[in-house]
Amino acid sequence: MTTISSAIQSTLFDTPNSLPYPVVRKRDGSYTPFSLERISQAIYKAGRAAGIDDFAYAGQVTALVTAKFLGQEETCVTEVQDLIENELMAGQNKAIARAYIEYRHDRDKARERSSKLNREIQGLVEQSNAELLNENANKDARVIPTQRDLLAGIIAKHYAKQYLLPKDVVVAHESGDLHYHDLDYAPFFPMFNCMLVDLEGMLTRGFKMGNAEIEPPKSIATATAVTAQIIAQVASHIYGGTTINRIDEALAPYVTASYEKHLATGKEWGVPDAEAYARKLTEKECYDAFQSLEYEVNTLHTSNGQTPFVTLGFGLGESWESRLIQMSILKNRIRGLGRQNKTPVFPKLVFAIKEGLNRKAGDPNYDIKQIALECASKRMYPDILNYDQTVAVTGSFKYPMGCRSFLGQYCDDNGEVHEGRNNLGVVSLNLPRIALEAKGNEARFFDILDQRLMLARKALDTRIARLQEVRARVAPILYMEGACGVRLKPDDTIAELFKNGRASISLGYIGLHETINALYGDEKHLFDSDTLRDKAIGIIKVLKQAVTQWKEETGYGFSLYSTPSENLCDRFCRLDLKKFGQILGVTDKGYYTNSFHLDVEKKVNPYDKLDFECVYPPIANGGFICYGEYPNMQHNLEALEAIWDYSYDKAPYYGTNTPIDECYECNFTGEFECTSSGFTCPSCGNNDPARVSVTRRVCGYLGNPDSRPFNAGKQEEVKRRIKHL
Amino acid sequence: MNYHRYIDLDVINGPGNRCTLFVSGCEHKCPGCYNASTWPADSGHPFTDAEADRIIDDLQDTRIIRRGLSLSGGDPLFPGNCEEVLKLVRRVKTECPGKDIWLWTGYRLENLSPAQKAVLEYVDVLVDGPFVQAKRDPSLLFRGSSNQRILDLTAEHQLAESA
Repeated sequence: MTTISSAIQSTLFDTPNSLPYPVVRKRDGSYTPFSLERISQAIYKAGRAAGIDDFAYAGQVTALVTAKFLGQEETCVTEVQDLIENELMAGQNKAIARAYIEYRHDRDKARERSSKLNREIQGLVEQSNAELLNENANKDARVIPTQRDLLAGIIAKHYAKQYLLPKDVVVAHESGDLHYHDLDYAPFFPMFNCMLVDLEGMLTRGFKMGNAEIEPPKSIATATAVTAQIIAQVASHIYGGTTINRIDEALAPYVTASYEKHLATGKEWGVPDAEAYARKLTEKECYDAFQSLEYEVNTLHTSNGQTPFVTLGFGLGESWESRLIQMSILKNRIRGLGRQNKTPVFPKLVFAIKEGLNRKAGDPNYDIKQIALECASKRMYPDILNYDQTVAVTGSFKYPMGCRSFLGQYCDDNGEVHEGRNNLGVVSLNLPRIALEAKGNEARFFDILDQRLMLARKALDTRIARLQEVRARVAPILYMEGACGVRLKPDDTIAELFKNGRASISLGYIGLHETINALYGDEKHLFDSDTLRDKAIGIIKVLKQAVTQWKEETGYGFSLYSTPSENLCDRFCRLDLKKFGQILGVTDKGYYTNSFHLDVEKKVNPYDKLDFECVYPPIANGGFICYGEYPNMQHNLEALEAIWDYSYDKAPYYGTNTPIDECYECNFTGEFECTSSGFTCPSCGNNDPARVSVTRRVCGYLGNPDSRPFNAGKQEEVKRRIKHL
Repeated sequence: MNYHRYIDLDVINGPGNRCTLFVSGCEHKCPGCYNASTWPADSGHPFTDAEADRIIDDLQDTRIIRRGLSLSGGDPLFPGNCEEVLKLVRRVKTECPGKDIWLWTGYRLENLSPAQKAVLEYVDVLVDGPFVQAKRDPSLLFRGSSNQRILDLTAEHQLAESA
C-alpha cells in the first residue's frame, strides 16, 4: 500500500535525497538528514487541518522551500519552519498558512512546557531555584525526603496543569489572575487541605495503623504518644494543617487513668496520703507526656517532607484533668525546646478564652489565662480564640483547622459535629490585578470580578470532582480508622463526607489594601477614610455573596477565606509588577498585603487596628486571623491582657507578635534586624543560623526565617512591619 | 515648660497601658543618656493647656483603658518644670480618679527641694537617681543603671494622710 507521503514523494521527487541538501540541527543539538518527506507531510497535514486535501499544493510549496536550501551545508529546524511559513504565507492558500502557524505555535507551547518541567527538576537537583526552595518556610529543601516531596510536587503540578484542569483555569493560574493553591498535591492526588482530627473517636474505639492494632490508651503518657503517631499519619495524607480540637478535653480521660493507676500503686504500698501521691505523680506524668508530644511533633518528618503543620486547640476544659493538660501544654512551651530552650514553631497553640471560665479575675480558670499570657509574651503562641465571637461569627465553637481555616455549623442526627470535618482546598483571587485592569473604574472592577468569580468557581469545582470516585483505601487513617470521624470499608466512596457543609471549600483573596489603592489612588489611606473602608467592605461582601450563592446551588460548604499568602504575597505582586509596571501603593513594595489586613506600614495602635480589621471575620468567616505587632511584653502582662480582653468583644481569633529572638553568641534577646538579605543580632552582628533563634509570624503560623528563608516578598513585608505600640 | 514627645498609648514605661510624656529640660546631663536631645529646657514644643487636656482625655478614655500617666524626659523635676508638672499631676489626681502616676527623675529622693517634693505628693511611684554608665544594666526593669531605685510612694502618702 502506498502512504500519502510516499505518494507525494514518488510523484514529485524522483531522487530527492541525492541532491546536496544541508544537514538539519535539531533543538537538542543532534543532527538529522534533510527530509523532503517531513516537509511535504507537515504542509499536507496543515492543509488537511484547514479542510484542504491537496497533495499537489503541498508538493509545490515543498519544492519552493527546498530550493532555498540547495548547496547549504547546515541548517536548523527553526530556519526550515520559518521558510515553510514564509512560502505558505506568500502562496494562494492563506488558510493553510494559518493552520501551519497555529500548529507550530501549539508544538512550541508543548515543547516549552516539557522543557519547563525539565528546568524545574534541574533547579531542584542543582538547588538553584530559589522560588521553589523557599516557597514554603516549613520545608527544608536541602534534605533528601523533602527533595523527593518537591520532585513529586513538580510532576504532580505539571500533570495537573497539562491533563487534569480546564485550560482557562490553568491559564488564569499561570498568569496570576487566580491561584490554585497546593497544585503540587491536588488535584493530581485526591487529597484535601486541612482538618479537625477525631482524636477522641480514634482513641476510645481503637484503630489500626500500619501493622499495629492500637487499643485505647491506659495512661496520658501513652495517649500523647499515640496522638503523635496519629498526627504523623494524618499529616502525610493531607496537604494542609492538622488540628486537634479541644485536646484538653479529648485526652482528659487518660489523665484520670494515670491518676487511678498511681493511686492504686500508692495504696498497694501503703503510702500515707495516697491521693496526694497519685496527684503529684500524675502531674509529673502529664507534663512529661506533653513534653514528649512537643518533641515528637518537632522531630517528625511527614511524607510531605516537612514538620507537620499541627495546631493544638485547648482551654475550655474545667476538670482537674483538663486544667492539668492546659498547664502542661503552656509550661512546656514556656520552657522551650532543647538545650538552648529554643522557641518551637510547632505545634501551633490556640487557647480559648471564655467569659465566666477564664476571662476575668475570679473565674475558675483565670490562673491558666495568666500562664497563657506569660507564654505568649515569651513564645508568641498561644494565639487566642474568643469563645463568644467564634460562635457569633462561625455559628459554633471550634478551633481553626491549620492556621486560620474555620468550619461552619454542621449537624447530623446526633447534633452538632466538629471532629473529623475538613476543608477541601482553596482557590484565591488576585484582587489588586482586577483593580489594575479596571483602571479606577468601579463598575468595570465588579464586571471583571464577576468573571473571575466564575472562573474561581470552576476551579473549585475541580477539587470536588476529583474526590467523587475516590475510595476510602487511598487514606486508611482518614477514612477507615476514624480520623475523619468515620469507619468506611476500603471500597466505599468518600464523596458523601464532603457534602451538605460537612466539609468547607474556600474562595480566598489577598491584597484588599492594594486593591483600594489601585481603584481609588493612594492619597488617602484606607485606614483614614470611612468612605474607603466602606468600599473595601463592599468588595468582600461581593465575594461573600458569591460563595453563599454557590453553597445554596450545590449544598457544598463554599466559604470565604482570608488567604494568608505566605507565598502568594510575593507571586501575585511579582506577576503584576511585570504586567503593569511600578504602581505606587500597589506593585511597588514587592508584596501584596495579607487578605483584609491593615497595611503593615501603617502606624496605629493595636486597639485601632482591631477596630479596623474586626469587621471582616463576620463576612469572611471561612478563614481569618487578626494580629498586632508588640514590643517585648514580658514585663507588662497587664498591658498584654488589656488587648486580649479588648479583643474578646471584637474578634474571634487574635495573635500577638512580640520580639523573642535570641542570640546564642552574646545572649541578646529581643528583635533581630531584618534586612533584605537576612536576620542579624543587633547587639553583636551574629547571623549564623546555628547560633541564633529568630521567630516571626509567617501567616497564622510562626516560622524560623533564619534557618528557612522567606521568599523575597515576605521578607520585604516582614521588614516593613511597624510596631503597633 | 516644653516637652519632646507624648505617647498616648505606651506599654514600655511602667506597668499596664500608659500615657507617657517626655518633658524638656535636664541639668544632670548623665554621660550615656538615651535622651540627650531633651536636655535644653527650650528644646521641643511648648506644653500648653491643650496638651494637658489631651492627656486628661486619654486617661479618661473608656475604650482603651489606661492604668496611668508616666512622666519622663528630660527631668520632670527640673526646677523650671516643677510648677507646670505640679499643675498636671494635680489635675490627673482630681479629674482621673484611680489612675496612677510614675515619675522618672535624675535627683535622689533625699535631696529634693520643697517645690520638687510638692509634686511627689501626687506621684505613686518614683524612679530616682542619675544614670551611671558604669552601672548600666539592660536587664533592669524600668531603669537604666543599678543605682536607680523604684520607690513606691503610696505607702508614704497614706502615712501622711493618717498623721
